[in-house]
Formats: sequence, C-alpha cells, structure tokens
Amino acid sequence: MKEINIVIEICGSAGEGTISAGEILSRFMSSQGYEIMSFDSYPAEIRGFGKCVAHTRISSSVINSPGKLADVLIALNDGHSISQLSALKQGGILVYDSQPAKAHEEDQSVLGWADPSVVSYGVPLAMLAQKAAGNLRGRNMVALGAIAALFNLDRDGFTGSIKDRYAKKKQIVIDSNVNSFLEGFDWTRENIEKKDDFTFDGVELTPQGEKLIINGNQLVAKAALESDLKFYAGYPITPATKIMEILSKELPGYGGTLLQTEDEISAIGAVIGAGYGGVRAMTATSGPGFALMTEFTGLSHMAEVPALIVNSQRGGPSTGIPTKTEQSDFNAALFSGTGDCPRVVLAPEDTASCYDATVLALYIAEKYQTLVVLLLDFFLSNSIRNIDVPGTPGPEMLNANVAPDEEELKDYQRYKITDDGISPRALPGTPGGISFYTGLEHDEYGRPNYSDKGHLKMTQKRYRKHDSVLNEAPSPQVSEFNGERADIGVISWGSSAGAAHEAVATARKEGINAASFSSMMLCPFPEAALLEFTDRCDKILVPELNYQGQFADFAAGIIKRPIERLNFITGRPMAAEDILDKMREM
Amino acid sequence: MPTNDHYVIIGNGPAGNNAATTLRDKDNEARITIVSDEAIPFYYKPKLTRYILDEIDASDLLVKQLSSYSDNGIRLRLGQPVDKIDPKTKTIFLHHKEELHYTKLIIASGSGARVLPSMRPFADCLKFISTYNQVMEYKDDIHKAEEFFIFGGDLVGFKFVRLLAKMGKKITLLIYPNAFWPFNLNDEMEGAIEKSLTGMNVELMVKDDIKTISALQNGYNVLTQKGKEARVDMVFSFNGLVPSVEFARGCDLDIDHGILVNETMQTNDPDIYACGSCAQIYNPNINAYTTSIGWPNAVVQGEVTAMNLLGDNRVIESVGRKYFDLEGVKIKTTWWEDIEELK
Amino acid sequence: METMQSEYLDEKLDQVRARDFLQYRSGDLPTWCPGCGYFGIMDAFYKACREMGLLHENICTVSGIGCSGRTPIFINSYGFHTLHGRSIPVASGLKLARPDLTVFAVAGDGDALGIGGGHLPHVARKNIDITFILFDNSIYGLTKGQSSSTTPYEMKTNSHPVGNPDSPLNPIRLALSYGASFVARGYAGDPEGMKEVIKQGTEHNGFSFIQILTPCVTFDKTNRTWKNLKENVHDLRVGDTADNMEIAMRAAENQPFGVGIFYRDKERMGYQDILKGLNT
Repeated sequence: MKEINIVIEICGSAGEGTISAGEILSRFMSSQGYEIMSFDSYPAEIRGFGKCVAHTRISSSVINSPGKLADVLIALNDGHSISQLSALKQGGILVYDSQPAKAHEEDQSVLGWADPSVVSYGVPLAMLAQKAAGNLRGRNMVALGAIAALFNLDRDGFTGSIKDRYAKKKQIVIDSNVNSFLEGFDWTRENIEKKDDFTFDGVELTPQGEKLIINGNQLVAKAALESDLKFYAGYPITPATKIMEILSKELPGYGGTLLQTEDEISAIGAVIGAGYGGVRAMTATSGPGFALMTEFTGLSHMAEVPALIVNSQRGGPSTGIPTKTEQSDFNAALFSGTGDCPRVVLAPEDTASCYDATVLALYIAEKYQTLVVLLLDFFLSNSIRNIDVPGTPGPEMLNANVAPDEEELKDYQRYKITDDGISPRALPGTPGGISFYTGLEHDEYGRPNYSDKGHLKMTQKRYRKHDSVLNEAPSPQVSEFNGERADIGVISWGSSAGAAHEAVATARKEGINAASFSSMMLCPFPEAALLEFTDRCDKILVPELNYQGQFADFAAGIIKRPIERLNFITGRPMAAEDILDKMREM
Repeated sequence: MPTNDHYVIIGNGPAGNNAATTLRDKDNEARITIVSDEAIPFYYKPKLTRYILDEIDASDLLVKQLSSYSDNGIRLRLGQPVDKIDPKTKTIFLHHKEELHYTKLIIASGSGARVLPSMRPFADCLKFISTYNQVMEYKDDIHKAEEFFIFGGDLVGFKFVRLLAKMGKKITLLIYPNAFWPFNLNDEMEGAIEKSLTGMNVELMVKDDIKTISALQNGYNVLTQKGKEARVDMVFSFNGLVPSVEFARGCDLDIDHGILVNETMQTNDPDIYACGSCAQIYNPNINAYTTSIGWPNAVVQGEVTAMNLLGDNRVIESVGRKYFDLEGVKIKTTWWEDIEELK
Repeated sequence: METMQSEYLDEKLDQVRARDFLQYRSGDLPTWCPGCGYFGIMDAFYKACREMGLLHENICTVSGIGCSGRTPIFINSYGFHTLHGRSIPVASGLKLARPDLTVFAVAGDGDALGIGGGHLPHVARKNIDITFILFDNSIYGLTKGQSSSTTPYEMKTNSHPVGNPDSPLNPIRLALSYGASFVARGYAGDPEGMKEVIKQGTEHNGFSFIQILTPCVTFDKTNRTWKNLKENVHDLRVGDTADNMEIAMRAAENQPFGVGIFYRDKERMGYQDILKGLNT
C-alpha cells in the first residue's frame, strides 16, 4: 500500500496571500481524504519583517507532529524565502518566481541560496498572474496551480476548493483566483519537466467521515460555547486574541456577554465576578497577561470561585517572542501566586483534545469551585487539523454546580467542611443562601477567622478537592511496552506529546526498546500512574520547549531519579525527528 | 582591512575552482562567488565514463565537499545560468532575474558538446556525454540499450566505444578522420584505432557520412550517404567541444570561438579575465589565439588568472598533457584553429 | 464535622435591634474604630435599601481591601470581599453575568484611586450598571495612616512625616471627565443626604459614582476631621436636572465640599442595553 507523507511550505510576505494559499491547500487535501496539519508562522527575523510561512503536512496516515523540515518550499517572496531554505530538506523541491516583475538585487533571489541538491522549478508567477487577472495578486494561486500540476492533483477539485474559500467574495475575486490557479496549472503542465519523485498517484486512503478543519483557538471557543459559557472577559494578546474575537461574534447568540477589559487584571476579575454570580465564565491570555492574572489566582482558590484561564504560551519571559511557540509557562501555570494555592491545570496534547479539555475545564471549574488553567501554546492555538466533528457535552458535563439542599440552606455554611472538599454553593439570588465570600481566611460561614486550627482545616478542605479532581481526570496516554521493560521511557506534555509518541513509535520500528507517557492533567498530576510507568523504564527522557526543563524538574520531584532532558527554545514546535535523534544517542 | 571587493567566477570546473582557492589564499577579505549553470558541485568530468560503467559511485565524481566552500568563505551558486554581462555597470544578469555585482570577473565557463552544423536538423535524436546531467539522464538507458550508433569520434568518444564494447553492446562507429578532435587522424592512427577495435563488436565506418536520422517508436534509423542503414537504440555524437560563452556575446568583449584573452588571461575589459577551455589565449610564438583543453591546463590557468587579477603579471604557458596516449601512439594536441568545421 | 465558633461578639445587637433597617444589617458587628464615619455610611446604605424595597438575596456588594473592604460582611445580603483595588472589575463581571442582581461596589480612596485607579475610567465609559461608593477618608487607615491619592498636599502622614509631597486627586472631576453618567457626593455626617444619593445612584441605569466624605478618626487628626468637614460642607445647587457638565466641573471643588448630585445623564444607555442594541 503506497503511503505519502509530505510537508509543503509556502513562504511570502504579509499581503501576498501566503496564508490563504496554505489554507486552500489544506482544505483541498483534506477533502481528498488526507490527514493534514498546518501551521502558519510569522518569524520575527531582523530581515524578515512581514514574513509569513504556511507550513502544511499532508499524510495518508495519522499525523502526530508537524514535521521538522519541508519537502517543498514555494517561494512567493524571494527575500523572505532565503532564510526559510534552512527548513527545506536535502533534495527538496523549490518553486520560485522565474519572471518576477523586477529583477532581484544581488543575493535577494531564493534560487541564489538553494542547496545544490534542491530540485528547483522556476514558474513565472507574476507573469501568469498578470495574464490571468491583470494584476499580481494571484501569484499565490498560480503557485498552487504549479504544485497541483507537479503532483498531478485534481485540477477541478482544487478549483472547487478555491471557489469555496472565496465564496463570500465578489464574483470577480473568485474568477481572478480560479483563473490564476488554472494559468499556473496549465503552464506547468506544458512547460515543466518533472525532476522529483513525489506523487500522490496511487496513494490509498482510508475513507473518512465528516471533518472539521479547525485550529486550537477555534476549538476552545467552540467547546466553550457548547459547554454553556455565558461570560468572557479578555484583553487582546497574541496568540490568544482569536478566542476573544470568535466569542465576541458568537457569544451573544448563545445568550452570553463578552467584555473587553482595560487589562488582564480586570479580565480575570470580571471572570471571577461572573463565576461568583453562578455563570460559566472564562478568559484567555498569554504569558504577560497571565502574569497579571496571577493576582487573582489566590482569590479564586481562597474564596472558592470558579474561573477558567486559557494560557496560550508564547516565547517568554516578559514580552518575549509573541509569535513563537514555547512551553515555558509550566511553572507559572502550576505555581504562580502566593500561599498554598492549588489549582487545576490541563494541557491538551493535540488540536482535537483542545475541545475535550475545554469542556472538562469548565466542568471542573464549576463543580470544584476552583481556578482551572488550560495551557495551550502558540502552535496548538494556531495549527490547523482536520478532525472528526466532536460530540457535544452531555447534561452531566453542563450542570456541575453542587447546590445546597433545603436542609443545608436552613443554616447555610458557604464553606462547609466536606469529605470531597466541595462545599455546596448557593448562587446569589438564592433565598436562604446569603453568604459572604472572602479572600481572607475564614470559618465555614465565610466570616474572617485567623485561628491556626481553622486555617489548617480550611486548607486541608481545599486541598481535598485536588484528590477528588484526580478521580475524574482523563487517564494518561501510555504506549505499549515491548515486553516487561523499556530501555527508554519518554515523558511528555502538551503539544510536545504528539511528537514524543511519534518518535517512540518510530524508534520501536528501529529496534529501540522505548515507551512513552503523557498526561493532559498536569495538576493534580497522576503521580501513581507516572511511577508505575517509570518503574518499568531504565532511562527517562523528557522533551519540552523550554530552557530550564520545567516539567523535567517537576517529574524528577515525583520519580526521584535522574532524567535526560531535551530542551528547545527555537520557537518551532517539537519535532519527532529531534526526539528520535536523542533516543538514538541514549 | 576589509575590502569591498567581490570576485565573481562564472564556472565551477577546474579553472574556476582553482582561481577561487587562489584568490582566497591571497585575499582573505574579498567576497568570492562561483556561479554555475550546472546544479551539481565541482565534479571530475573525465570520470563520467567510468561512472556509466558503475566502476565508481556518483559520490566519487565529486572533487570537493560542499562544506569546503563555506569553510573557505566561497559562495557557491549552482544551477544558475548567466543571461548576460554588463561590463559598464559591472553587473551579471542571472537567468532567474537576479543582478550580481562584481569588482573583478573571471569567466571559466568551460565548453559544451559541439553539434556539427550538418547534424542540427537531427539534434533531437542525438545524445552527448559531456555533463553530469546528461549522464544521469542516459545512464539507465545506456545499460538497457543493445545497439549504438556513434559518430565523429573524439578522445572521449573513443573511450566510450571501448566501454560499450566491454559491456557487450553492438556498436556502429562512424569516424571523420579529418575532423577527429582535437587533432586530425593520420593513417597510422586510423590503423591503430582499427586494430584496437578488433575483437570487439564494433562495425567501423570511415569516409562516409550520415544522411538522415529518423526517430522510430523506440530507437533510431540512421541512413548514410553511401546508403548503409543502421537500426539502433541510441545515437551518440562525439565531435569535440565548443566554448560555452553565449552569455558573454554582445557585451563588447572580444569573442571568437572562445573569449579572447592576452597572455595574462585578461580580456579587452581590464576587470574581466577568462581561463580554461572557454578562453582563447594569445600565443605570441605563433601570433595567434589558441585554446588548450584538458584538466591540468585548466588548473594552471585558473591559478595564473587569479594571480594576475590580484596584480601579478604572469604569462600563461600551456603545460601538462601536451600529448595524448592513444593505443600506444603519442598524439600531440592541436589548437582550435586547426579544426575545420566539416564542410 | 465540628463547626468553628465565630470570634465575633454580638452584644451590641440589642441596641440596634429596634431600628427598622436592621434587616439589612448582618449578624456581624463592624470592626471599624469607634466614631468612624463608615458607620454613618452603612446606616444610610441600609435605609436606602429598605426604601427601595430590595430583596436581600438580590443585593450583591463587592468590596476591595482596606477598612471599606469589610463592608459586605456587615450587610445581610450576598457579598464578595475581593482584592485590593479590584472591586470594580469583579462587580462588572458579576453585573454583566447577572443583570437581575443589584450590584454595589465599594472601595476606599486608596483602593479605588490608587491601586485600582486604572479601572475607574473604563467602567465609567462603558457605563456598566453598578453603584460605586467611594469611602473617601483621604488616608490609608487599615495600614495605619499613610498618604493616599486624596491626602492633601503637605499634610503630615506616617509615610510622609514631613508633609505629603503629592497633590491630591479630585475624584468628582475624575469621574466627570471619565464619562460617568451619574456623579454625586455625600458626607458621612449627613445620613439623609447620603441615603438620597445612594438611592438615586442605584436607581440610575448605568455607572453611578458616589464619593462619600468621611473622617478617619484614628489616623487623621488635622485634616478631614468631623469638625473640619462639618464646616466645609454645603449643599450643592447645580439644579434639579444636574445635566450640565460645565456647572458640574466648576462645582466639583475639593474644598469647600458641595454635596448632592453633580451630574446625571438619564439618556445614556447602560452597558447591557448598548450590547443588546448592537447585537440585534
């Protein structure tokens, strides 16, 4: 059975249609039954202002990671594409504009820097776009046409995907794009002699059901809406802003309210106010905003008010690198704030699980009256997958508040000591449930109380919620073992988990006896499951996208054994290839 | 003291590479760029025939690793044909529409297979063995093919014939004695050739010429003036080399067959030099421009050119393999002017 | 489970049990210093609630940190004692999520104008329907007498023993220029006047800003004392409609203090209505 696994990158300048070309390519390949994972990046290089790259991995089998290097680079902009050549494989394919409107200055042509092994195809993008539509805007479509012709993709099907993409635009826009595509396709058929081996001919595909082409931010917003979210407050910050933008449009239709606040302190404050009012509420932010929100984490915990913060991590610290991905807020998510302040932290591992994680996060926040932090990252927020349409949450996930019964309302104790740590919560407006919430240590009625005995009892009660949450947490993902023991056990989290599982699967095929473990639930952490796993592994490897090895440190505290670390802060998502290299060394 | 000099070398063969390394040796600061229309790194052209026979791997063809260029600070631009040169603005226009600026330029673009004028109508039917890409393209076909028609014949061609014969192929060889390249054959040589082919599956034709070549479904039909017919799988032309200097025409450089240079390898533009088989060098002894071929000549010329470009004043002497050894007969190489186009 | 005992005494309850606003007072007795102006504010608050006939369970009071932070615990309604400076964001979220509730936010001068000063412009320009009561005693009381954003220039405080180098803010002018649609001032020694502005502010659909001048009897012996306040307070005469911004700005002197309603924009829609209008 023939399989294909190919990474295509389109590199251009903002405004050249780079991202929309990538999107159309993804949609078309998805419609053909391929798995896709695509990722747009906006590298902030000194000479690359305005540079954008649409990275698309296309495969006939399951994709777990975006692929480190590209097989094909389509250069819409020579200047920007030069630096992107370093991400092109040896022997890869380069498509460049052979007839640019103006000659390149010295060293500004992408072909001038291509590795000798690269198979390059010069296509007169500008000229053909001009011919097709009378202007240069359609160069991206000409390039898609060239790719479609080179790989013998369905000309009419592709045209359909372009029409779908521009369905809401004027006819002239649709025509210009379609004509540019066809011009590129036909010219390439006519003039280019294929010199590479890539082809989609004869690839066998498993039939797929209805697919959703979506990114993590969109899924978080969708899951929140379908989980009865009624209030969102937020402040714009890359890469989380899109969540606010989607909800701003959709939330009123679901009977909810969106508030754009003056800062992140106000955003989390309003979320906690709404949560106190008894509706499901959330905010989304990134590192710098999360730092501000830290002020409120303690209040959510102490006053036992539900709140959900989505933190889409970017390069840090401080303002850091807003448009690059990193996993360096692990410590902040788990440990920020003062005092003994547990919270729940969930980190989805792939696009699809962003939905489930959001549903779960809102459920846990409401039921356990706690702060939940959902850790995404730039990559998960923005990478696009075609996933099965997620099932909407059932009523048991939607009505999670533990309300006081009649008996309890007779002498209502807001902070009643219970076995599972959950004190029944009367929402404002409930007769008989009048109560006082406070960030001061308090007694069961909420009255300030600083006694040592009282503080201990209340702290224990709040920590008990943690144990209860763990009972409802999704199980860790653990690979099969090759026999009783493994030489290498890979522990991973968040968006690196996919690459880790993929690397382990490949390693096993190579004869390396490896196993892998990842947990979406980071806090409380399934420590027993981790110990059970690591007890069967001789060496432990933790790959993650931060410098200091935040998760490795955390895991070391649990397993109390040395850990091999693999840390990258390149701003790119974790690559299975890199983990594999490390495992070969070990 | 850093300089802003940019030395551009067109050609990635022995002359160009030797010029580049010499320049780097003497000038640590200048930018040095090699431009080549071939997309593969510096390789041994003379070894191509051995590669066809699978005596060596493709990797054995490479003279230098790519890393040695970056280690020496030499920018290598491969697969980038030059469209034209503008000596006034000191700009080179590359085919992919990029403008390259030089302070000094060395043209070492070498030479390509010569198509005889009479064969131009049948050019589509002909195959050549003069570049890596051609060999890559034909290699499998050569192994598969049974019958070959080879005409013209030069030193490389003769080597190729022996190679095919060794592989057990059936060959028809048409030799033009007065146009053998790079020298004319005399009877003695002809005899030697004939003798050396004895025992091989080679049919030798002399004093005849091709009338037409027609492409068939899979193969070719060759008809000669004398009415002989050959039905073959592949037709190869070995009629020597012509300097690859088309891109330099029309820019006020003096060009005959190749680019004309004085004894110090300088063209009529003081900032442009030429060396290797694309150049015709003034030879005061015979008061004529001559071309020298062969790897060792190219190496020496590259070095001399680089030194002169940097201010030296060396005079080139054709050195090294002045004689070819053909089946025990010493043959003195000749100059370009000796070669007559076939009338 | 063992129930913890409250440390609070309720011996004084009997003294106030006879008063008709007792129902809005909680079982907990205020912890403020004897003679504090805040007692007067609370009395006015209870009276206003009673006169408006608000249901206990539908009132929510959100406070920050400081002496004023304790306010909700003394009110027999839902209350949320949040973070220093953050009563406005929490109250905003609460009101937008639960428009059926009557939401008060209370804060001191340090709370609202110092640490939380950044929130005021935005709640005002959005016109979120909460009633904000500023307990302005021009000093940090809970931390024992440091200069606040409304402490007069050159006044000696524990953080500025040789005199406050900073000029005070004018909260009324700030609120007016931020675009608050209801701006009023009360005085802790005038329960009727306070009750009136709290009532009108609560009934106003939109953000109501009410500054209450009050002494800190413990840490301010020179400036905003009962005596000084009494002498420097006069009734505002800005007209019944109070819809003239220029007059309001002129009347908003720091001293002498005019009390009453400075400005009221009845036409302006509350935030909830604005959102509704935009989304239909």
